[in-house]
Amino acid sequence: MDVASFNLLFALLALAAATGALIVTVTLVAPGEAIRGLRADIAGVAPYFAVTVAAACMAGSLYYSEVAGFIPCKLCWFQRICMYPLVAVLAVAALRRERAAWQYGLPLSLVGAGISIYHYQLQQFPSQHSGFCTLEAPCTAKEVDQFGFVTIPFMALAGFLLITVLLLAGRTDPAQEGVAP
Amino acid sequence: MSFQPSQPQRKNRSSLIVAVASTVVVAIVAVVLLSRGGDDDTAATTTTASSSASSASSVPDTAGPTVGIAPTSLPPITNGGPATVTGSLAVAGSALPQFPESGADKAVGLTFPDLTGVKVTDSSPLAITNDGRPKVIIYLAHWCPHCQKEVPLLTGWIADNGMPQGVDLYAVSTGVAKDRGNYPPADWLIKEQFPVPTLADDAKNTAFGAAGLTSFPSFVAVGADGTVKVRAAGELSIAQFEQVLEAAQG
Repeated sequence: MDVASFNLLFALLALAAATGALIVTVTLVAPGEAIRGLRADIAGVAPYFAVTVAAACMAGSLYYSEVAGFIPCKLCWFQRICMYPLVAVLAVAALRRERAAWQYGLPLSLVGAGISIYHYQLQQFPSQHSGFCTLEAPCTAKEVDQFGFVTIPFMALAGFLLITVLLLAGRTDPAQEGVAP
Repeated sequence: MSFQPSQPQRKNRSSLIVAVASTVVVAIVAVVLLSRGGDDDTAATTTTASSSASSASSVPDTAGPTVGIAPTSLPPITNGGPATVTGSLAVAGSALPQFPESGADKAVGLTFPDLTGVKVTDSSPLAITNDGRPKVIIYLAHWCPHCQKEVPLLTGWIADNGMPQGVDLYAVSTGVAKDRGNYPPADWLIKEQFPVPTLADDAKNTAFGAAGLTSFPSFVAVGADGTVKVRAAGELSIAQFEQVLEAAQG
């Protein structure tokens, strides 16, 4: 597959991640017995999903820099600093079945999401950063622009948001959360 | 804290969630593979465009601007030839000193080097030389969002006012990077109906370096005597652009 194919793949995965984040958020806040059951089901798999999402995001960013040849800008590096440790932290937590992992993961995912939001809006309104670009990697440049709105920081934001809500979903014990069968 | 053993029913439902998520991912991969499979011809065209000249298919048959500009007053955007991504470029003369971040510009008063190459939109010859006429040269990078904002602004100004009578306008497409979006530059400039004859810089950005520039967009006002009157970097407003035009006229 060429870079364009991977752009489409990652963009669709990001949209799926954003949709997943929305669904998990609904289960976290909505009342009702059926929702409680679904929440408990999601809590059971959330740690594994979270590490999978983090690993996919890391793989995607490494693909763009090491295979596609995109030079990460400063804000991209800040988002990497938040995402890459999540892979290790969440993987160990999932293997150890640590429900307290959200306490370590949440600060990283929230900070990462904040940087992604700032980076994304900077791409949409580049004049606030500076009035020019340089040959090096400018934070305002859209190296990927799928469907007219999915850029790399959008992908990162979708990943961070899904990880965040999965960490929140996974902090409760499914056995205590769920309804009686 | 640790996980409690799941009940069989919950395990089944968790398995269902995993299955749904896996199905979504597999479906996305399948969509990508199927959609790209049908785009092989397009991909081949794009690959060709990465060489010095792309196929003529990327250039529309219609030539010249269409929106509110008197056709006789403007050069055609394209004469129908193949577009150029990065062309071979000849520079005669000394490179200008680097554009300073602050302070006086040491390039002012120095002779702007002659640039000879081809137009990015149709590969026809284009030379920016010391021909005794004032000129403004605009350096653009296709992927730069500031350039993407500047081009329609200038196009609109030219549509309203026509090409300036006393100053020749030129542009240089530089900093070309296939993977940075809005590629190839010729497609962008044709889509924007940018009427300014645009020279294709080479892959080493020689024209950009010869002008001593460091950022995009950049503007160089050259007087009738061939010397630099002013250099400006970054997005310019119409009022600032008009000041650059006036500076070229001395």
